[in-house]
Amino acid sequence: MSAVDTPSRRNVGRVARLPRWLKGVLGLLAILGPGLISANAGNDAGGILTYASAGSQFGYRTLFLLVLITVALVIVQEMCSRLGAYTGEGLGALIREQFPLRSGAAAMALLFVANAGLTVSEFAGVGASMELFGVSRYIAVPLALVGIWSVTVLGNYSRVQRVFLVMGLVFLAYPVAAVLAHPHWGTVVSNLVWPHFLHTDAFLLLAVALIGTTITPYMQFYLTSAVVDKGVTPKTYKAERIDTINGAILGDMVSVFIIIATAAAIGGTGPLNSVSQAAAALKPVAGAAASQLFAFGLLGASLLAATVVPLSSAYALAETAGAERSLARKLREAPLFYGVFTVQLVIGAVIALLPGNLVELVINAQVLNGFITPILLTYILILANRRSVLGAAANGPVFRIVATICVAVVGVLSSLVLVQTVAGWL
Amino acid sequence: MGFNKPTWTPGRERTTVSPAHFRRLAEVRARRQRHARDRLAGRQLEGSLLSLAALLGTGVKDANGDTVGKLRDVVVRWTAGAPYPRMTAIVVRAGKHDVAIGSRWIEMAPPATVRLGSSQAYARAVKRHPGDVALAHDVLDHQVVDADGTQMVRPADVYLTELNGRIEALGIEVGVGALLRRLGPGFLRHRIRPQQVIDWRDIASFAPARTEGEQPRGRRSDMAGQPGAGLALGGPAGDVKRLDSSEVRAALRAQKNRGSDGDPR
Repeated sequence: MSAVDTPSRRNVGRVARLPRWLKGVLGLLAILGPGLISANAGNDAGGILTYASAGSQFGYRTLFLLVLITVALVIVQEMCSRLGAYTGEGLGALIREQFPLRSGAAAMALLFVANAGLTVSEFAGVGASMELFGVSRYIAVPLALVGIWSVTVLGNYSRVQRVFLVMGLVFLAYPVAAVLAHPHWGTVVSNLVWPHFLHTDAFLLLAVALIGTTITPYMQFYLTSAVVDKGVTPKTYKAERIDTINGAILGDMVSVFIIIATAAAIGGTGPLNSVSQAAAALKPVAGAAASQLFAFGLLGASLLAATVVPLSSAYALAETAGAERSLARKLREAPLFYGVFTVQLVIGAVIALLPGNLVELVINAQVLNGFITPILLTYILILANRRSVLGAAANGPVFRIVATICVAVVGVLSSLVLVQTVAGWL
Repeated sequence: MGFNKPTWTPGRERTTVSPAHFRRLAEVRARRQRHARDRLAGRQLEGSLLSLAALLGTGVKDANGDTVGKLRDVVVRWTAGAPYPRMTAIVVRAGKHDVAIGSRWIEMAPPATVRLGSSQAYARAVKRHPGDVALAHDVLDHQVVDADGTQMVRPADVYLTELNGRIEALGIEVGVGALLRRLGPGFLRHRIRPQQVIDWRDIASFAPARTEGEQPRGRRSDMAGQPGAGLALGGPAGDVKRLDSSEVRAALRAQKNRGSDGDPR
């Protein structure tokens, strides 16, 4: 470990003088890491608009589904962080090692397609939020593209990432908005603990979009690589496990409050047609400034995800190819890594600039993710089941059954929507 | 491409050409010559190098030309002091079972011919012996850690060659070209074009992959030379030389000359 990572004696002394309650909070923050970041990354532009659309279209009916998705998310994220901690390798590397080359390449191609869809939705989020400030997306998106590329490739990425994260914290206003909107709490609780599903195509499509935006493949790839980079070992895995589980639950709690706030404000009015409709749910908190507050948060979340999603593709592909991969390297030293990052950024920005309904585009990207997610989850499940990969830390019989059911349910739902979509074309 | 383009024509003002322009032209010319040399060396190597990626899955024929199974792996023996490990056996999928056949019965020829030299070849059950390196199972696509344990490469192919009647592993290919060759149609696998080959002499240690139920291998930095690590380089990955086709051909010639002079290396 480098000297930079080691806390100095002066800092240790300062912590010792802090009040007990503050030390407790700092201790909790210290274990918050990749698990929390990756789970909250689900609350990006696509996520926020999908949750808001769920609230406006079906009211509280999707809440029970989100509880089930949270259970699945906890299981999947835990498997990923365990794989990272016990093998010291990212998912891309493990897939290359453990599966036939062509099968691994197919997985990476799917990840690239899924992430390309997400990058489109992130740039669409940038465009939509800037339009709320009165700036055309034809100016905002190219500026964001150049800014993100320069900061990541030439500048100090980690510093800017913190700014984006803080901007995204604006969405913590949703829990407050949900309370201030005075929803019917009896109905909320009833929908949280008991399914009130609708047997309609629109509900099924939105269910797949919710799965696609909550259990996103890039989160799993990012989490595994981040756990490896953080230096988590089997000995220190216990704290990382807490972070992963807490992160998944906290991240999805924000999603639940987005649905409640939107349902209470504009529930039953049908699917979202514009971003300003989604902002309406923040009116109980911000009043007339709801639109600006929403736009500010959406911009931060979109910029952060528009950087992280292409980076996760670049890491995974370079890892699989065995090529150089690090932000610490120069452009010439890691051409594949920076090449994938650049190509995905440009594709995302260009498609986001095409004319059309931004909200519809974003939700379609989540549906695409919903189709691809079960395929990539199958790889993760097989890896976590293998004793040759994880030894004694491989999935036990009960965990294996629960995880298999989760992946199977996600797969069946996605297949149903795929069949319906294809049948609709014929 | 304009190398001989006149820079001045009568009746027109002569344009000034900067020295940097000539330097760039010289660089382009040198790069082209290097690529042409590499292509030629690659073609020449096709007759003398065996590619593990091309060999895997090919039918193993008996002395009568009948297929007895498909090649699943090539096993070499890690011997301290020997620069290149020697092939000791191949693993063949016959029916539903894998069997090992000793190298004394095997004849291999580029690009991907594997034959049993005798009709009385002895097949035995597959069993790992100390020092055995199963190239497909342990090396291909598996990480190779460096001395620091911080950086690694991933072999996309392993090159073998015949020296004095014995098959030996010459080096590992870590170039992206070999990876794309394996992803492409089958006939491309026989077009061997070494790009970034790590000489086997630069590999310092080997620790076999874990089998079912053993302890997990832990982090890269702790595991060079430990069980599950696979191959480990002798120095930092950045310092290990990567050979192109011309250099591989030169190394192969040197090795063959040494072998014909009776040098045990």
